[in-house]
Amino acid sequence: MAITHIIFWFLTALALVSALMVLLSKNPVYSVLWLIAVFFAISGHYILLNAQFLAIVNMIVYAGAIMVLFLFVIMLMNLDKETEPQKDIWMKVAGVISGGCLLIQLVRLAKDAPEMVNKTALLKTGSIGLIENLGKVLFSDYVVPFEISSVLFLSAMVGAVVIGKK
Amino acid sequence: MNNLVFLVPLFPLIGFLINGLGRKSLAKQAIGAIGSASILASFVVSIILFLQVKSSGAIIANYFNFIDVASLKIPFAFQIDQLSSLFLLIITGIGFLIHLYSTAYMTDEEAPHYARYFAYLNLFVFSMLLLVMGGNYVIMFIGWEGVGLCSYLLIGFWFKNDAYNYAAKKAFIMNRIGDLGFLLAVFWLINKLGTVTYGEVFANIGKLSHQDITIITALLFVGAMGKSAQLPLYTWLPDAMAGPTPVSALIHAATMVTAGIYMVSRSNLLYTLAPATQGFIAIIGLATALFAATIALKQNDIKKVLAYSTVSQLGYMFLGLGVGAYTGAVFHVMTHAFFKALLFLGAGSVIHAMHHEQDIRKMGGLKKYLPITNITFLLGCLAIAGVPPFSGFFSKDEILAAAYEKNPILYFLGVAGALMTTFYMFRLYAMTFLGKFRGTHEQEHHLHESPSAMTIPLTVLAILAVVGGFIGIPEVFAKDSHWLESFLAPVFAGSKALTEQKVSSHSTELMMMGVVTGLVLVTIAITWNKFSKYEATTTEETGLGKVLENKWYIDELYNAIVVNPLDALAGFFKNVIEKSGIDGIVNGVGTFINYSSRQLRLIQSGQVGAYILMMVLSMLGILLLWINDSTIVHFLHKIF
Amino acid sequence: MNAIILSALCGVVMMFSGILLKNKSAIKYVAIAALLVLIIGNLFQFYGIYTIDIDSKGLLSFDRTGLFFNTIIFVATLAYFILSGSDIERAGPDVAEYFALIFFVLCGVTILTSFNGLLMFFIGIEILSIPLYILTGSDKKNLKSNEASLKYFLMGSFSTGILLMGITLIYGATGSFGLQSTTIKSAVTGFSSAGILAPVGLVLLFISMCFKVSAAPFHFWAPDVYDGAPSVFTSFMATIVKAAGFFAFIKLFAAKSEDFGPGPAWKLILFVIIVATLFIGNITAVFQQSVKRMLAYSSIAQAGFMLFALYSTNDFTKDGILLYTAAYSFATIGIFSILTKMEDYSLDGFNGLSKSQPVLAFTNTVFFLSLSGIPLTAGFFAKYYMLASAIKGGGSLSLVIIAVLFAAVSVYYYFKVIQAMYFKEGVAATNTPITGNFKVALIVLAAIIVILGIYPTALLGFYYF
Repeated sequence: MAITHIIFWFLTALALVSALMVLLSKNPVYSVLWLIAVFFAISGHYILLNAQFLAIVNMIVYAGAIMVLFLFVIMLMNLDKETEPQKDIWMKVAGVISGGCLLIQLVRLAKDAPEMVNKTALLKTGSIGLIENLGKVLFSDYVVPFEISSVLFLSAMVGAVVIGKK
Repeated sequence: MNNLVFLVPLFPLIGFLINGLGRKSLAKQAIGAIGSASILASFVVSIILFLQVKSSGAIIANYFNFIDVASLKIPFAFQIDQLSSLFLLIITGIGFLIHLYSTAYMTDEEAPHYARYFAYLNLFVFSMLLLVMGGNYVIMFIGWEGVGLCSYLLIGFWFKNDAYNYAAKKAFIMNRIGDLGFLLAVFWLINKLGTVTYGEVFANIGKLSHQDITIITALLFVGAMGKSAQLPLYTWLPDAMAGPTPVSALIHAATMVTAGIYMVSRSNLLYTLAPATQGFIAIIGLATALFAATIALKQNDIKKVLAYSTVSQLGYMFLGLGVGAYTGAVFHVMTHAFFKALLFLGAGSVIHAMHHEQDIRKMGGLKKYLPITNITFLLGCLAIAGVPPFSGFFSKDEILAAAYEKNPILYFLGVAGALMTTFYMFRLYAMTFLGKFRGTHEQEHHLHESPSAMTIPLTVLAILAVVGGFIGIPEVFAKDSHWLESFLAPVFAGSKALTEQKVSSHSTELMMMGVVTGLVLVTIAITWNKFSKYEATTTEETGLGKVLENKWYIDELYNAIVVNPLDALAGFFKNVIEKSGIDGIVNGVGTFINYSSRQLRLIQSGQVGAYILMMVLSMLGILLLWINDSTIVHFLHKIF
Repeated sequence: MNAIILSALCGVVMMFSGILLKNKSAIKYVAIAALLVLIIGNLFQFYGIYTIDIDSKGLLSFDRTGLFFNTIIFVATLAYFILSGSDIERAGPDVAEYFALIFFVLCGVTILTSFNGLLMFFIGIEILSIPLYILTGSDKKNLKSNEASLKYFLMGSFSTGILLMGITLIYGATGSFGLQSTTIKSAVTGFSSAGILAPVGLVLLFISMCFKVSAAPFHFWAPDVYDGAPSVFTSFMATIVKAAGFFAFIKLFAAKSEDFGPGPAWKLILFVIIVATLFIGNITAVFQQSVKRMLAYSSIAQAGFMLFALYSTNDFTKDGILLYTAAYSFATIGIFSILTKMEDYSLDGFNGLSKSQPVLAFTNTVFFLSLSGIPLTAGFFAKYYMLASAIKGGGSLSLVIIAVLFAAVSVYYYFKVIQAMYFKEGVAATNTPITGNFKVALIVLAAIIVILGIYPTALLGFYYF
């Protein structure tokens, strides 16, 4: 087993465990921290796939900016045990069961998929994930969606202003 | 000249609109003048058209596409050829005389009703004109339904009398039964040929299988049975006598009831190619002729006798059509229109004089009070009895001769019917005009001849009834003397080419004529002698006489086998099926929807968690559905 | 391309108009003018007069159907601005921003009518959705509006996740954002050994689109959001946005209509979804007391009918969805514009409207008749085309019968409003005075619906010629 395989499995395990902990943590602050761990693990996967730019962006934007924002919001909201809403236990059970079924179903489909058999991700190969190549593609082939995304951001900004304004 | 064609139906339509819309404001004189003048104008145009057809052949006038759906195109077109131009003359000519007669006969009515009467009558003439002028079966059907409607309106003209309304309803429903056959035949034609225009249908007749032709002709004949009062759909016609007498003369003797004959002669090519239907028509026609004649023997209502006589004469016409004597049938339509209209109008004159008394047992001796009516009525009787050289002789003889060629049995039965005709007609005449007056003194006091507006039509019709037969003198007497046959030849050319001509020798034909004429004269003598001395008796009829008096109990039979079971079934549906079944289901559906609405509302709990749970479950369901689709489809197919 | 660029620019213009103009109704007129520019620009491309040409590397493709659909949407928006413009002014303080957001939504619509691959499709869907979350919550002081906005955002994100998952699977399996016919073919034939990831992806796409168009059982967000959002924006969401969603849905799945044919699995799934949508939409609407909430369910029910366009793809489908969009949008916009003027949104609030506001009552009746598909209104032909396409597709008579039955149910709850307006005693109060212009606009809209109901080819004629 090569070192990359070991790293892959480690990162995968880390991502899954952290994701579970996000859900299971009672304290929202812990949840956010676990989420940062998830993002780091995913970024590790990106690096394995030779997509350094994506990995960096993922860490800076999600783990850095957004999560910090989340933490601030949660602290400002001053949550504690008393204000935590009580959830129906049956709803939890039903959610777990149905979500589990869906998961099993999807896994079963993916497992049987012929295109997945004997195939693993291409590690350390390909150069599309490098900043230079990504930039070239983004500003040639995908320039129209890239520019149109600005409308999306603009509308999000307008929305933020509308909601935030007194 | 094509542009004249539309004027023919237009005048009566205008008359109908003026009288119908202005019925509250117009004076009686104006109403009568408008009603009659519109028909007179039509008549004049008809004469012009007739002369034109005579000199230069058929006119076809296309106006616009009445129906234009996908490949089906039904033009609004008129076709004026020899056959229809002849009918135009009969309809507008006799129609005018009857309108004129009506101006006096209906004078007791109040102005609005008077206008209503003339509006209906004009509408009737309009519809009848559409029927005969239409260039295809659909336009004919419009007229066909139109005359049915007018007939209904006019039979129930005195709508305050329940019995009259009942008679009107009966006529309408009986006609509708027949019309269904007509309609199905038209559908069948559209389905098989994609056209209903006469010319195209007859040109493409080769495309129809033998079976198709038989079915179409049979269905069309069902329509004719209703409209022309043949067995078993004849019972409405005697009841239709509830309407005013001129209506009976126009609609139920001269024109509408002959629509069936017109339609069959119009489709003669189809019928010639369907010998099975032809045989059927001949049998129905003859059976109707005899059956109605037997009933007429014992009737005591002056109009009822004439009504059964009409049914019987229509039977003769169908006999003629059935044995391929199309010209003979049309000829008889014409002569019958003359003398039967005459007889009805004469009867009207009598009823008018007797103050709406219609029972001939209470008449008698009217000869001296109503001289003109008496003479014209007698001429009518002679014509219908077929005494030479009156018109009925020629037309009836032509049909009977054709029947003889087909099958002697048809001929002998036909002659028997003719003798019965003679008997009941002269019984009617003798009981009405001869002997002593048997009515009340008051009635006797008021007896008077009718005004000239009534006697002029009588006179004109009497002349026509006497001389009308000369346009069709048989070959026996002079070669090429049958003017009508040569005139109508183009219409029946197709059929004639298909049938072989079987001509019996002239001597046989002459001998037959002689014998029949002799028998008729003997019958007249016997009847005259017997009924001129008629005294009212109180003895109840027995045996066959009673059966005949009650019209073979046909109405009772129909009630027992058709009406009562239907009533019972309807009652069952209304009381049981609808109350418990349909209402239950309908209300149940409402209750169910309300209930489920209330329950479904609760799913919308407002909790995002619950919603997402629901959505996840649905996703799971769709995935499973998608993966196992073949199993599920298979399973569903097994169930259904 | 004209419409995409112009709509984005119009949005920006509206943002600045908020700074430059202090008069609220002036903003409304700027918006109407901008929309007219947009319509003209789009027509320029439709008739090939002038097109801003940008090489999209095959990611966008413009066809007549899409451009024509744009036109219908823009005209419906114009009707919406004219009828409900003053209500937008009253919805909150940031009028210019609302208009800007609406123009951004229109930009999303134009992308959805011209996408040629999943990438642009996703961007279009997002541009369409994000402004709506904000518009839903624009009534900041109203707790219901906030709740609706948050619910919409949460569940919308959930469905976007599913959508992305589907796109990922398809991209992973095929290495392309395009919808190759093999992908669809294997999806159509169901569980096959040829490949499974792309078909599963397609199923996930399908599910998330069902969510966007509020087809049962993914409709749960719709009643709460439509009910909670300010009525004037509900009107926009329930008509224009929904129709655009449908158009994208159909464009996506009928992209290769010859392959997306009568696959048993899809037919089965669609059958279940259509029946469920019709059932839940119609039946639940019956018991609603609030006209607004009833309309929310009715929009679900109408979605059931629009799904017919997916069920069978043939000539009727394209005409049908265009006609349905026009008929449904115009009628619903009209109804909402009247509803927002009402003091009381419950059924009783409409009692006796025919006495106090005969014009409103009459036009409202026309709109409701059209929604229930009564002949002589546009709704009749819209429904007719949908059902005819299903019958033409073959073998789905049972579905058509079910649809007709539910259409009958819909008559029941639509007529409740008509009954209240005409046959019940009461004083229906409006919250603002009704202007003459508003009445004229309503009458024009009702006239369009009737004209389309008598002569539906008047609309389709533009499309073909």
